[in-house]
Formats: sequence, structure tokens, C-alpha cells
Amino acid sequence: MPGRSTEVAPRVAGTGDGTAGRLVGRAVSYLVLTTWALITVLPLVWMFYSSFKSNDELITSIFGLPHDLFVNREDEYAVIPPALNVILPYDPEVDTRERVIIESATISPGRRLMVQFLLKEKLPPELRGLQPGDRLRVSQLPPALRLRINLATIWFNYISAFVRGTLGLKFINSVIYTAVSTFFIGLLALMISFALSKLPFRKLSLFILGLIGMGYLLSIQSVIIPLFLMLSSARLTDTHVGIILVYTAFGMPLAVLLMTQFMRGLPDSLIESAYIDGASVFRTFASIMVPMSTPVIVTVCIISALGIWNEFLLVLVLASSEITKSLPVGVFSFASLMGTQLGWQLAALVIATAPVIAVYLLFNKSITKGVVAGALKE
Amino acid sequence: MKKRDYQALVAYLGLVVPGLTVYLVIVAYPILYSLWLSLTDFNPNRGGSWSLVGLLQYRTMIQDPAFWHALKNNLTVVAVSVFGQIPIGFALAYILFRKLVRAGRFYQSMVFLPHFLSTIVIGTMWKRLFQADGPVARLLQMLSGDPTSQFDLMLRAETVMYPIGFALIWMYTGLYMIVFLANMQKIDASMIEAAKIDGASEPQIFFRLIVPLLSGTILVATTLAIAGSLRGFDLIFAMTTQGLTRMNAEVLPIFMYRTAFQDYSNPMRFAYGSAISNIIVVISMALILLSNYIGRRLHAGEEH
Repeated sequence: MPGRSTEVAPRVAGTGDGTAGRLVGRAVSYLVLTTWALITVLPLVWMFYSSFKSNDELITSIFGLPHDLFVNREDEYAVIPPALNVILPYDPEVDTRERVIIESATISPGRRLMVQFLLKEKLPPELRGLQPGDRLRVSQLPPALRLRINLATIWFNYISAFVRGTLGLKFINSVIYTAVSTFFIGLLALMISFALSKLPFRKLSLFILGLIGMGYLLSIQSVIIPLFLMLSSARLTDTHVGIILVYTAFGMPLAVLLMTQFMRGLPDSLIESAYIDGASVFRTFASIMVPMSTPVIVTVCIISALGIWNEFLLVLVLASSEITKSLPVGVFSFASLMGTQLGWQLAALVIATAPVIAVYLLFNKSITKGVVAGALKE
Repeated sequence: MKKRDYQALVAYLGLVVPGLTVYLVIVAYPILYSLWLSLTDFNPNRGGSWSLVGLLQYRTMIQDPAFWHALKNNLTVVAVSVFGQIPIGFALAYILFRKLVRAGRFYQSMVFLPHFLSTIVIGTMWKRLFQADGPVARLLQMLSGDPTSQFDLMLRAETVMYPIGFALIWMYTGLYMIVFLANMQKIDASMIEAAKIDGASEPQIFFRLIVPLLSGTILVATTLAIAGSLRGFDLIFAMTTQGLTRMNAEVLPIFMYRTAFQDYSNPMRFAYGSAISNIIVVISMALILLSNYIGRRLHAGEEH
């Protein structure tokens, strides 16, 4: 290799030429990187700020900043009767307090999408007698109610996505799948890797490592049909247990490969001295191997959690009810169903991406390192 | 002695068996199940009655125009990854590596960001952006000065892969950039200094020093990109609407999904679907093994 650098040799005449070239190089570099960074970020920026726009704005002023939902102090509302198409946020059998139901006259009027329920006891006397058909302005309301409605208007898209897409439930499901599966991947892979790298039975260990390593070449997608049939006969489709089981199993190969590689690099002497001191295998595992493997545990957890949080196909195939759907599947089906509610769609997308972006920006360095370690696995 | 061996074996099994069992049942067994399924006429509509039919499913597949259409689209995706993501990723990595710009870390985080986002969410976002009356259409109208122009690339069978290819590049270029950057940083800095002292120009350093040094990484990245492209499902699934658009942009994994989980009238849907996914596995496995083989040979060559 060192021979190559002399090969490059023909000397460039004049140093002034070199600095000019370097300047052009820098300018081109800035241009290329800035362009690409903008191409990457601008669609996301558009998605974020547009998620606060009303449906009309999303059609008439595609690139404009959100306006309608923010300028809402003088919004007009119409009093409506408690009809069947109004979803009550309370149980009328239990909560019998009288309410005035109002609907926005600006946000999709007549479609019962922006509806507020005002307790009569909290209204000033002159507003208590409002009848269906009457109109009022937000500014007429007492400050507490006014603030509530102002906020509900600004967050209209988000509240609708959360409530109508039951995205809160799906968010919790995603957290459960990610946390529980990642925990089991870490625990089971640590146990296996410890045995394979530090206990006797070398030949058996190599065989098991090869067997598990083969799984690295497979993805959930490649066996989704048999998995579906197996879990159906075990009555585990559409259950949290079934989904976590699959995630755990498919996280094992990469985790075991990375952890075994790491533990092989740890000195044997530490473990031997622990044996001599009379520590059991499990004791050695828990109090020596696990603490020493922290870097690789972090890497494995990052890669596993990221993959599971974003996984789509398994839940799409296995989850038939809303109770087991994860956030990506929930957002996808909500966005497909609400094709005409552009603002809700965008709000749902932001709900799914914002947490990941926040975590990424907070732990940028260690996450990047972890992903590189996974991608570069040799 | 014997007692100690026995104890060691118990400990060994205690550590290995739980994880290994989960792995064998959920990962290893299904692949055999899938091989078996693809050789039968397994009929879920008749309570799973089956008989062995040999290579019937594979023969059907070869004669199915949908298979060749999906394979063709898959090859387009492969081409986009190899000739789009990898060169752009390499160029961006090189700029960062040579510190030709300030705030490199900032740029790096921006470009790598899409890798962390859910592909399905990003696909839905691009579907919206590429709608006939969406933001991209409006942007093109503003740039061309023609307020009636429509963005219809997603709607036409011949052009649907262009916007999809763009979204694929958007999504994955950052990963290759990071991988190349990590490997560039392993290069001995004195080598570049030596080349500079010898009067090498920037293009010479790039083409005759950096590219040859990273040829192994480029090869491995290329084969991994090919294998990954064959598996890609989420992005195209989310960017297209069920029906004609998705049919136009169909790739092998979506073809498999549609066959097995949407085509209820086909009594052999699971058997046929298994044949399709087995073919995907075979192709991508061959490519991954090839990449490992090439990588190892290059690695061995460097040590001499």
C-alpha cells in the first residue's frame, strides 16, 4: 500500500493553483452537503408545521405557515342539539349535569368534528339559556373555558388523531413491544453469549453460534407465512405475547453475534479468579460479565429497540383488533382511512416520528455508534 | 472430575437453552415449515388439507407475469440503491471525512436522521408529498411557471418507480454515508499527508488513494444494498394506494404479501406465497454470503 502514495506523484506546478482549487472544493462541498441536508430535512419540517394547519389551508396554501387554527380568539360557534352523531366524552347516565353543546362554525361546520361541551354551571348567567341554533363567540366565554377552547383549536389535528385513531393506545402498545422484547433479547442473548464465549464445550459452542448466526440472514418477512400459521394454531395471533415472542426470537442472532464477539475480547483471568474465589457460574455472570459488557449491551438495546419500534409487517399480519396494533400500523391505517382529513393525517405522522427524533437528537452520539456497530458487523 | 463436568454442563445448558429454544421454534423451524409449504398444495379454505405436489408452486411462479413484473421493479430498486444511495453516500462521507465544511457533525446528524424514522411513516409522508395536487406538484408549478401542470409520475405505470426511487435514496443514503465515514476514519492520516507532500491533487487523493482503500467496504455495502433492496416492503407499501398504483409499483415482498394475505380466493395462497418468500431468501442469502466471502478475501489480502 505505501507504494501507492508515491505513484500519485506528478507535482502540481505553482501553489496558487492549489489554493484556488481548494477554495472551489470547499464551495462545492458546502453546496453539496447543504443541498442534501435541506432535501433531507425540509420534507420533515413541512410535515411538522403543516400538522397545525386546517384542512382548507392544506389545500389552498400548501407552503404557508399555519394560521386558521392559531388565530381563534374571535371564532364563532353554533349551539347544536345532542344528536346521535355527537360523541359524548362523558356518560350521560352517570354525569347528569346540564351542558351546552357548541360546534365550530369555522372548522368543518356541520360535520361534528370540532365540538365542545360547556357545563352550564360554569357559564355566566346570560349564556345559560342558549338554545340550539344560537351563536356565540369564544371571546364571550369566561377565561378558563376560553383558554381550553383556544388550546383545543390549536391542537385540533392532534387531539382528533389521538382520539379517533386511538393512537394513545397504540403508542402504549409500541412501548410495551419495544421494552419487553428488548429486555428479553438482551437477557437471553447475554446468557447464551456468556456460555458460548467463556464456558467449556468449545465445539458445541461453535455449532450453536453458527446455528444462531444463520438467523441473521433471515428476516421476519421471510417466514411470515409459517409464523402466521403456527401462531394461529397456538391461538397467539392478535396477542401481545405472540408479537413479543417473534420480536425476541428475531432479535437474537445479531445480539448473540455482537455479544459473543465482545465477550471473547474480555480477559479470561477475571472469570477464573472468580471461580477460585468460589463464585458460582450464575454469580460470575451477574456480577462480572454483565457489568463488563455494558457497551455492547447498550449497542444491542439501541439496535433492537429501533428495529422493533419501527417494525410494520408482523403487526400488520398478526394484529386484527385495535388492542394489539402498534403505532406504525395504527398510523398507517388511520392515514389511509382519513385520506380527506389531511391535517389529521400529518398530525398522526408527527406523533409517530417526534419521539424518535427527540431521542435521536438527545443521544445522537451513542445511537450513531450503535447503529454503525450493527451495520459493520463482520 | 466427573461431577465438575456435569455441573459445568448443567450451567452451560441453563444459560443456553432458554434463548436457543425461542430461536429454534420461532426462527429456525419456520424456515423448514416454509420449505415444506412451498412443496404442497396446502389449502387453508379446507382446514389445511394438503398433499405434496413437488415444484408446482415454483413452476406457477415462473409462468406468472406478476412475478416477473415484481422482479423487474425489484431490480429497479436494486439499481437505485447501488447507483444512487452508495455514490451519494460515499461523496457525502468523503466531504465530512476531509473536513471540507465546518459543523460536519451537524450535517452528519441531519443526513442520517431518516434512518431512524419508521419507514411506514416516511412512506406515508412521501405519498402525501407526491400527490397530484400535493407540495411537490405545487413546487414544480411555481418553478415552471405553469399553474396547470400536474405531478402524475405516481399515477403512471411507466414512471411510478421514479418518485419511489427518490424516496428510497432519501431514506437510506445517510446509512451508507455513516458506514463509509466510519471506515474512512480508520485510514491512516499519514498516508494522505504523504500523498499531499508528493504533490497529489485532491481528485488524485480521492480516486487513487481513498477509493482503492475503501474498495472492500464499497463491495460489502453494494451486496448488502442489493440484499436489502430485495427485502424492501414498507416504503413502497406505504407510498402506494391499494389497487392499481400498488400493482404498478409491486416488488417481490409485496407480491408475496398480496398473494398470501389478500388473495383469499386462491386456495393455494400460503403455499404459493411461501414459494415466493423462499426465492427472496435464496437470492438475498446468496448475495450476503457472496459479500462476506469477498470481504474476507479482501481483508486477508490486506494483512499480507
